[in-house]
Amino acid sequence: MTLKATIDEGACSAHGDCVAIAPGIFALEDTAVIIGEGSDELLLAAAEACPALAITVVDTESGEVVFP
Amino acid sequence: MSARQIVIAGGGLAAQRCAETLRRRGFDGRVTMVCAESELPYDRPPLSKGVLAGTDSTAVHFRDAGWYEDNEIELLVGRRAEALDPAARRLELDSGESLSYSELLVATGAVARTLPQLAGFSNVHALRTLADARALAAELAPGSRLTIVGAGFIGQEVAASAVELGAEVTLLEALPLPLAGLLGEGVGRWLADLHEDAGVRMLLGAELTGGRGNGRVEELTLADGSAVACDAVVVGVGVRAASTWLAGSGIDPEAVLVDGAGRTVVPHVYAAGDVCRALDPVRGVHTRTEHWDAASRQGANSALAMLGERAGPVPLPSFWSDQHGVRIQYVGHAEIADRHVIDGDPAQREFSVLYSRGDRPVAALAVGRARELISMRRLIEASREQTTDEIERSRT
Repeated sequence: MTLKATIDEGACSAHGDCVAIAPGIFALEDTAVIIGEGSDELLLAAAEACPALAITVVDTESGEVVFP
Repeated sequence: MSARQIVIAGGGLAAQRCAETLRRRGFDGRVTMVCAESELPYDRPPLSKGVLAGTDSTAVHFRDAGWYEDNEIELLVGRRAEALDPAARRLELDSGESLSYSELLVATGAVARTLPQLAGFSNVHALRTLADARALAAELAPGSRLTIVGAGFIGQEVAASAVELGAEVTLLEALPLPLAGLLGEGVGRWLADLHEDAGVRMLLGAELTGGRGNGRVEELTLADGSAVACDAVVVGVGVRAASTWLAGSGIDPEAVLVDGAGRTVVPHVYAAGDVCRALDPVRGVHTRTEHWDAASRQGANSALAMLGERAGPVPLPSFWSDQHGVRIQYVGHAEIADRHVIDGDPAQREFSVLYSRGDRPVAALAVGRARELISMRRLIEASREQTTDEIERSRT
């Protein structure tokens, strides 16, 4: 696993789609929060499903932004 | 570098997700996006919300121009797909250009339906594009009289945004309650009350016959003989697939059917987003859902299929709507439900609805209860296979 997700709390509007897709990685409080780790595939699927486009996924090896 | 050239006809969410996924999965051939509007690809949900309220409209673009350069994605903006020649594998554009493809994604989206009774009036708007949103925003001012025809989600969101801007808003709907056919009378009544409480005038069961005015419509006429004075009108009566250009290609322009990986009936041609009717694995039929999440996933899945990778599973249909400070979220297939139960107090704007077919949950709606929607979604997913089986049996 080389990808890491961060949530822009200002952009997150608590739809909860990331939690529905990856419940072990995300949880819903006032905004979505990161509670665990998971596969690269799940992180990307959660980021793509975010209607607020609030999840950024970075490759920790290259430092490159993979999403958005 | 691969000699393959992937052409994406369209510049919306499905098109964008396809391009992103191709590059992320290492495709190094040519990628060309043909965008009908003179805009970088952008996200549509904010059009009825922030863009009307005056948010900087460049904020809706998915990426800046530099991203397309860095990823070597060729953007042809202000150009439209006009014809498809699958034998020659060429896409013809309205500019006279012709693009050769090894794989093509049809993602030309949908266009707003218009009302012939209101044709020719300059102050009658649709809300589908950024240009539409800017034109409408210019008409909205405190005290201006806006009438919206059609109380679907777009019409309701425009009503909420406009009333917040101080406009005098009338929402006109032919049915007795908004969205009651899908969501039930209780939810329909609640939606109507939500708007009325916020100062929107609801004209339900109202049949529009035409408009009066010279160049600009000044009043709308209704079948009961009454009239509604207005400074501007928004027509929100649904969309149709932007697929007429596919005539003669072998793909039926009336029904662009695709499988779970986005394949059409024509080899090397895929389709995604609002233009297509995707196979719904629960009901076993092809449907056009017009949902944001479906366009996102179908665009990404088409890219995977083009690269010979396996597409992800099809999640339940879902959508959301933000109105008058309230978030409405929906997941599942309420159209196959035969009963529903409301939990909580709609008057407090915090409640959920569980829709069932027999004793199996098939859909849920949540207002101000995002966390509960997640658990209801799991319940529905758990019973999904059973539901599919039952529908199969009822057919045979």
